[in-house]
Amino acid sequence: MKILLLGIVDAVVVWAGVGLGTQNAYALLSLLLLGGVGLNIAILSRRAYPLRYLLPSLLVLFGMVVYPILYNVYISFTNLQTGNLLQKSQVIHLLENRYAPAPEETIYAYQAYLSDKDELLLLLTDEQGQHFLSQGKTLEPLRPDDQRLVTQDGTTGLDVPGYHAVTGPALYQLLPRLETLAIPVDNATLRLSGIRQFKTVIKQYSYNPKTDRLVDLQTAISYAPVDGRFTSAAGKTIEPGFQTWVGARNFVRIFSSAAIGKDFLRVFLWTVVWAMLSVFLSFSLGLSFALLLNDRKLHFRLVYRTLLLVPYVMPVFISAFVWRGMFNENFGIFNRILGDLFHVQVPWLTNAMWARASLIMINVWLSFPYMMLISLGALQSIPDQLYEAARVDGAGAWRRFWSVTLPLLMISLAPLLIGSFAFAFNNFTLIYLVTAGRPAVLGAATPAGATDILISWTYRISFQGGSGNNYGLAAAISILIFVMIATISAIGFRMSRHLEEVYG
Amino acid sequence: MKKLLMLVLIIALAAVVGAAQTKLTIFADDTRTPLLRDLGAQFTADTGVEVDVVEYAWNDLRSAYVTSTQAGEGPDIVIGAHDWVGEYVANGLVEPIDLGKKVADFSPAALEAFTVNGALYGLPYASENLALVYDKDLVPTPPRTWDGLLAICRAVADPEKPMYGLAFQNQAGNFYQFFPFLSAAGGYIFGYDDKGALNPCDVGIATDGAIFGATLYQSMLKEDLIPSGVDWDTLNALVEGHNAAMYITGPWLIGAIKSAGVNYGITQIPAIKGPNGAYNVPKVFTGVQGFMVNSFSDNKTIAMDFLMNYVATMDTMVALMNLGDRAPAYLPAVTQAGPDILAFSQQAAFGVPMPSIPAMASIWQEGGNALDLINNGTDPATALKQAQDLILTAVDCK
Repeated sequence: MKILLLGIVDAVVVWAGVGLGTQNAYALLSLLLLGGVGLNIAILSRRAYPLRYLLPSLLVLFGMVVYPILYNVYISFTNLQTGNLLQKSQVIHLLENRYAPAPEETIYAYQAYLSDKDELLLLLTDEQGQHFLSQGKTLEPLRPDDQRLVTQDGTTGLDVPGYHAVTGPALYQLLPRLETLAIPVDNATLRLSGIRQFKTVIKQYSYNPKTDRLVDLQTAISYAPVDGRFTSAAGKTIEPGFQTWVGARNFVRIFSSAAIGKDFLRVFLWTVVWAMLSVFLSFSLGLSFALLLNDRKLHFRLVYRTLLLVPYVMPVFISAFVWRGMFNENFGIFNRILGDLFHVQVPWLTNAMWARASLIMINVWLSFPYMMLISLGALQSIPDQLYEAARVDGAGAWRRFWSVTLPLLMISLAPLLIGSFAFAFNNFTLIYLVTAGRPAVLGAATPAGATDILISWTYRISFQGGSGNNYGLAAAISILIFVMIATISAIGFRMSRHLEEVYG
Repeated sequence: MKKLLMLVLIIALAAVVGAAQTKLTIFADDTRTPLLRDLGAQFTADTGVEVDVVEYAWNDLRSAYVTSTQAGEGPDIVIGAHDWVGEYVANGLVEPIDLGKKVADFSPAALEAFTVNGALYGLPYASENLALVYDKDLVPTPPRTWDGLLAICRAVADPEKPMYGLAFQNQAGNFYQFFPFLSAAGGYIFGYDDKGALNPCDVGIATDGAIFGATLYQSMLKEDLIPSGVDWDTLNALVEGHNAAMYITGPWLIGAIKSAGVNYGITQIPAIKGPNGAYNVPKVFTGVQGFMVNSFSDNKTIAMDFLMNYVATMDTMVALMNLGDRAPAYLPAVTQAGPDILAFSQQAAFGVPMPSIPAMASIWQEGGNALDLINNGTDPATALKQAQDLILTAVDCK
């Protein structure tokens, strides 16, 4: 059983390895092999017994968490963006296979033959009826009276022992192989240009790996790789560009760009306010419900608790759209009611302050059940004796809450609240689904809307503006956001440790 | 020993599974996937080449294609909109194609839309654009001029009911729908450089004509002739409730209009009288859809064979037309087109292909923000000039 499972895992590793190997992804391949070998040793060797429990989780942790983070850091130091998407080797492959139409185009019909050993033989016939023979490397003219030529039913074919003609479906299987052929003829190259024909074309570029130069074969101009693009001495560039290392340029751009600097403070402040208020309000609401539900005198507690969990179990995708619809200025339910009763129209999502308030309302609705759940759990763990002691000391309900319940709750809940803060800080989904960062702000220097938080602003700068997608810049900004959240969380944890020292 | 043998056998099996046959892979959207699967089955029967059609939602096709092709796992053929081609070409992901003699069968405007730097990158099958769709019960004769449209709007509009004169998707950021207002009196997206290519440094969304059109739009908004904040869901609700007399929309809304039982007609968007007194029909964006070939495909010849002999045929093109209710790009199929398609085509005479160059991303972003500001009452000149400045900065022209 164990061996069967290991066999399946090994098979997957080999399959994935072959895939990675053919794509030249050697870094991932070596990791995969290392992991695979390690796994085999851990399971087959008796001495490595404890490892067999640790290793799989470590591997998954590495693959799902550490590797993406490292990759993100790597991307932030590259120029990966629209126009510089491919690897250099891919671009060289593309350019070396780029052909221009020949000035005097010649079209050859062909018939393909294969030997039993899969050797290729082509009979090519140009428009004048002149026959040629090729094995894929050169073109060899045939005299009309060549012995190997056989004419049958008006069509001429080849009769070479050991070779058979390829037609029908077998020809289609052969086409990818024929497509790779580039047969030199005079000043041109012969390439497959249709199911049944070859055509003369002119090869445009040739790459010299020794000098790292791309040469235009027609003009003899040499192009050097500069900044992810093959560039001539005169500054002419060839599309497409490729990924390349650009050092700290993306970071420099963030800090030196006047436009980004101008909007940063506004977006950052709103992000902090948004995260703080979301956590504070939803925790207050959740805790209030938890206290109510914790009262044993309350009837139908299970029913209430189930109902209160509904916002939490609804997918954000659905509730965000429902809320957006309800907040619609002309047709939303809120403005219908307000309009009918008081003849007022609240610009829920179109006025900056209202849009922010609406978002916080929605987020409180979405997250208070979670706060309620964790508070309920933590409330159970507070021993009744403490309350009794407080009561004996003459503390009222209010005092008992502030002096006993809340401090003891905070010990266990503070780390969770910090987690919620970090989550709200980066809650791209909700912002994007409800307002997409809008309404727009007059006088903004970048596409920073009134409700954009740092992460949605990053998205708009990197993917929705400029000239397409800029992954390098996005990666750099996300690293900075990570640093911010890490700092805020570290401070939070330090403070919560004080709580523990005081009350724990 | 037995265990080891078993291990070796399983590994060997995995290696064998890795070997592959020639196969044509196509990325297509959900609407066109069934048709392509049928064509693929026919192609397989004729040539023995297996055809694998991978289904995506239309909105996911673009990123799925870019990501998979970059990783060397892209399809041989992909369906897409012409305005994605600019990005594909900049990234080197699509191959120029040669339609040979069949080129004469295609609408020149559709071919033009798929042309980047003089090379054709797609075999077009359909084009779509906005037009005026009106409720015949409320608007017996469609207006020819914008003044006529305003008169009808004022006659029918009643925000309490609610009933609006004209509705379209003007929710935050929908610049596509806003463009007709800007273009009527002379706004444009990009100018051309001396070689005839689009010049991202010449942006015309804040010209006097554009500001004139935007001001006209804002005044209709203030008069409650147009509802604001209409997104796709709201638009459908308006159609369902017969809450508007006229819509500026595309073929994608016709299904909803039919099922709501609206007695509809389709016509040109009425001409707007510009500041110089001349009447101009608002220009709309045309979007063309087509098939493209992956530049990294090992089966380009087979892919082209499939496209030329199985897709670029009367039967397939008519089927594609009926699937999407879009105007065909294949001219012989126009004879089979229904009245709705022909009506939308009238407006297409006043269409400009959506620019496909990557700088268009900035137009969508900042143009959309400008519409947002105008909706919220900002002076159109201020909003559009800010957008123009920000676009020029974002595409490094300033």
